[in-house]
Amino acid sequence: MNIEQLPIINLLLFLLMALVIPLLKRKPFKITLILGFVVLGLVLISSGYLLWYVNNVEVIHYTFGGHEARFGIEFIVDPFSALFTTIIAGLAAIIYIYSSGDATEGIEKTEYGRYYVLLFILLMSMFGILYTNDLFNTYVFIEILSITTCAIISIKKKKDTYTSAFRYVMMNELGSLSYLFGVALIYMATGFTNITLISESIQNAYASYPVNIIVALGFMIIGLGIKAAIFPFHIWLPDAHSAAPSTSSAILSAIVIKVYILVLVKVLFRVFKLDILNEMNISTILLVLAGVAMIMGSVFAIAQKDVKRMLGYSSVAQMGYILLGIGLLSFEGLRAAFFHILSHGLMKTALFLSVGEIIYYKKTRKVNDFDGMGFIMPVAMGVFSIAALGMIGIPLTSGFISKLNLGVAVLDQNQIIFLVILIVSSLLNVIYYLPIIILAFLKNEKYRYRLKSIEPTPRTMIAPLVLLGVLIVVVGLFPNQIMIFIEAAANSLLP
Amino acid sequence: MKERRTIKIFDSMVKSNSILVGFSLVLLFFFIIYSQNIWLFRTWLNSTRFFSSYETVLRSYNFDMFIIILIPLLGAIFELLFGERLSSNRDKSIIYMGFVEIVYILSIYPKVLAGMIDFEIPGIFGVGFFFRIDMLAYSVLLVSSFVWFYVMIYAHEYMKKEKHGTRFFFFLALTYSAVLGTICSGDLLAMFLFFEIMTITSYMLVIHGQKEESYKAGYNYIIMGLIGGFLILTALILIYFNFGDLRFSSKIAELENFGNLKYWIMGLLVLGFGIKAGMAPVHVWLPRAHPVAPTPASALLSGVMIKIGAYGILRVAVSYYFPSRDTITSINDPLWLSVNNIGAIIIWTGIITMALGAFMALMQENIKKLLAYSSVSQMGYIVVSIGTALYLGYEGATGYTGAIYHIFNHALFKSLLFMVAGVIYFHTKELNMYKLGGIAKKLPFTTVVFFIAMLGIIGMPLFNGYVSKTFIHHGITEAAHINSSFYIAEVMYIVVSCMTVTYFMKMFYYVFIKKNESEYADLVFDISSLDLALGSIALIIIGVGLNPGFVLNNLIAPQLLSATYDIGFVNSHILHMNIFNLEDIFLSLGIIIVGIIIFIVAKRYKLLNVKLPKWLSIEYLFFYPAYWLMRNICVLVYGSNCPYKKEELLKLTDRDTDKLGFIDRFVITTNVLNQRYEQSIIRSDALIYTFFITLLLIYLLVKSLLI
Repeated sequence: MNIEQLPIINLLLFLLMALVIPLLKRKPFKITLILGFVVLGLVLISSGYLLWYVNNVEVIHYTFGGHEARFGIEFIVDPFSALFTTIIAGLAAIIYIYSSGDATEGIEKTEYGRYYVLLFILLMSMFGILYTNDLFNTYVFIEILSITTCAIISIKKKKDTYTSAFRYVMMNELGSLSYLFGVALIYMATGFTNITLISESIQNAYASYPVNIIVALGFMIIGLGIKAAIFPFHIWLPDAHSAAPSTSSAILSAIVIKVYILVLVKVLFRVFKLDILNEMNISTILLVLAGVAMIMGSVFAIAQKDVKRMLGYSSVAQMGYILLGIGLLSFEGLRAAFFHILSHGLMKTALFLSVGEIIYYKKTRKVNDFDGMGFIMPVAMGVFSIAALGMIGIPLTSGFISKLNLGVAVLDQNQIIFLVILIVSSLLNVIYYLPIIILAFLKNEKYRYRLKSIEPTPRTMIAPLVLLGVLIVVVGLFPNQIMIFIEAAANSLLP
Repeated sequence: MKERRTIKIFDSMVKSNSILVGFSLVLLFFFIIYSQNIWLFRTWLNSTRFFSSYETVLRSYNFDMFIIILIPLLGAIFELLFGERLSSNRDKSIIYMGFVEIVYILSIYPKVLAGMIDFEIPGIFGVGFFFRIDMLAYSVLLVSSFVWFYVMIYAHEYMKKEKHGTRFFFFLALTYSAVLGTICSGDLLAMFLFFEIMTITSYMLVIHGQKEESYKAGYNYIIMGLIGGFLILTALILIYFNFGDLRFSSKIAELENFGNLKYWIMGLLVLGFGIKAGMAPVHVWLPRAHPVAPTPASALLSGVMIKIGAYGILRVAVSYYFPSRDTITSINDPLWLSVNNIGAIIIWTGIITMALGAFMALMQENIKKLLAYSSVSQMGYIVVSIGTALYLGYEGATGYTGAIYHIFNHALFKSLLFMVAGVIYFHTKELNMYKLGGIAKKLPFTTVVFFIAMLGIIGMPLFNGYVSKTFIHHGITEAAHINSSFYIAEVMYIVVSCMTVTYFMKMFYYVFIKKNESEYADLVFDISSLDLALGSIALIIIGVGLNPGFVLNNLIAPQLLSATYDIGFVNSHILHMNIFNLEDIFLSLGIIIVGIIIFIVAKRYKLLNVKLPKWLSIEYLFFYPAYWLMRNICVLVYGSNCPYKKEELLKLTDRDTDKLGFIDRFVITTNVLNQRYEQSIIRSDALIYTFFITLLLIYLLVKSLLI
């Protein structure tokens, strides 16, 4: 086997797994679970190996069917895509272990198989989006991704999930089509859809067809902004998150919206390049969007009574942080944004999974019902607290490192006002996360004496939670080891 | 009928505790005669072979700070392991841990005196950690460890009447560890980390009572603490970005070129640490949190933790903002200019803090609240002194001495005063001073101890407060020589000192002297660990008062000589100064007499019970306009069927700030906005899309094609 084929094999493994699940319908469900786990493990190992390989040996180019890049489809595994595929595979594996512990809350038993089929197709499309070096091919994968996401959101057969899934699909179709429109305009101006080839001729195209390029850029930013839930376009997100099962909320919030923002990064830094972006002052637009998101996401989160909606709005605010890093259009900014993608991925997964466990056992999602929860579910609430403190940016967690890097990046571009916004936004995080922790651990004495009657939680649900909690702290303590890969990824995007 | 007094011993651990306390006092005694070389003790000890080999062992490692930080952690772990079964085991592990800490801190004195202890962990947090124990850190370590130990002894007895003792002691030990870590840190990052940990763990102490009011006060406490943390974080990011290094070393030469940014950084740091130090106007958490916390916690909050805030200000000021010793030769060096400006601002904040605290303390009837406001006022003294230390620049050694010395003294007497208040509450379950009275007869020992602490805090000559207040006063007068506007500061200082006397006289009279109908007949005279703790701190207060040279020459002088201060000035004005100068003695005696006269007059005309109206609070003044605006805009747009929820909105007009704090009001505002706008934003999805894409395209096209 050639190392170049490894990315394709990753995709194929996911696809095969999705195909195999319906065939195993008559067998015990356990077999499916174990097989899926093996697949995820293999993919995680191979992406980890690819990450090492591209950082130490060389970047992998692969063209399908041996066609030349301008006609065929090209996959590129560089430090950027290798890093994020590894992160996605790792997070997905953790969430997968958790979901196998019978936490697919609210899904009918017969739908389990369908849920996992969708999950693997979802993963396949995300890997595809990251590997591919072709704008149109990206669009294809984006479509697969949004349709599977929609199916996952509506997997619970309830009326309100259908409404939110419908809203999701409408909004995301708007986003996809805007993106496609942008791709078409670029194709019109340059004659390519391959990113490398476009980037070579984008300057000439901009000189001769400026309107094309500008309109394309506008549509692509808005289109991907919708999908990445950037503030005024976040409208689909809170409903979708509260409707979906907890595990898929975790996947949606921690992974899927990040993939779209990574597409935006690719489009900005690889297709249009810094010269055009600076000329059009894109930085300001992105920064304004980010600043508004950071404040407004948190403000809306404060007022939520439903914990999953609250976490959804919190994601909106955190996407603002990531967009802030990207919008600075600098090495430091990208570095901080990429680190925050990882750290928010860990923290938000931990939050959704621990909340998922509480919803699973206590059948409540009202914030006010959390009193005394720390005594009944110490592990879940403990991990929740670590992750929430991370969101606030307390040192010893990865959230602190994110804030530190973002702050330095902001200062590097002389945007001192965003340092203020960053701090205010952290403060707003305090206002909605802290009362939950206090409520869970300090109020309602009546549960205190039930310490012995801690709910029997399957180990498959506890282990991933603990792992996430540990990872948040470890990444917070020793960020330098990961920073090497993140810096390589940021470098591969900048000239 | 005169009842016979018997001394009862309730506590089984009182014997072992007495031995430990005795040991600690003996150790302190030997420490003093060693450091001052009384009876040539140090000369003799240094010549012994045992001591020289001890010193070689001591110098062979440099991770002392880890031992210091780990001892309380170990105590906490032992406490969790053994505390479940027997409460005396639990208390023992905590008390022994405190004792070991004292012993260890005393034992490293020769090493610190010889030179500071540095330790570095590179790479952690991506920035690296740096620890340092120098003489400044060592002085604060010393006083914190002693106070903490006695409070532990006290808490052992006191917490018998409270629930959840194990949790309390566990978090007390964690807080101790964080406090020590903050003191030992050698860069801003480590300091920030331990500072945040301290905020979070001490929160558990504040809300220990788990009553509605303790949650309210605790929420206030942690939110303000975290805000302080964020301010420090902002300053940290600014410094890290500009220097790439967070160590406490002189950065003023580069900072000089930053224009206004250097003031911003210092402002953020002062405000961030000032929140913890109870500095006005960000002191609001303090008078709420201290009274609701259990007494040992409030004694430590007031005695040690708010000092950490002051220590933080002092540390960043004299490291980042002080020119390094080898670049400075005179007071006229231009590098001092920005330091002077910062110092002036800090002096005025301190003056406001001390006036406000004293003024509020006069009006209190809850004794713990009175003491809390008194802490605010005394922190004002410390802040003023830090300000003069900066303002006077090269000759600011008096201010520096005053600040450190007052940190030292205030830790002693304020923890003692809080513990006295705790003893009174322990016996009578009453904190309102107008309902108390006649305690002097029932608890004579406590009364004497209170009297000693009071003499200390009002600056009676021969007691400890006199020395530090004299230095603070000298600092202010020196500042007034340079800029005459500081004469106002001096006047304020004298007025506030008189007020201090007045409110302590008030407390002393109403609690101890005044006759009371309910005579507390069942109150028995007992000896317990409570009295042990009280007695030993009172002894130390007297000792420090009678022998001011100990703190001055052995703890503060090495700092002054290594800091960037004029050595000639230090020698003439501090080390060889006559502390019991007639002028100073008369001033402080005069202040005391005037204070007493004010008290008598005010009592006569019932001026002590005046209350401020409730609407005069920040919360109300801030949110009432917000309410008014929202309401009127709503009525303007929708007429009579305004879609805001009325009852929610009306809460904003509530005048009672204890019921609804700042954050609560903010949350209500967001709730109202959310109810109104969340769904309409979600429903207008296509509109938002169209609007924004049009806007963006117009902007881009105009920007790149027309311009």
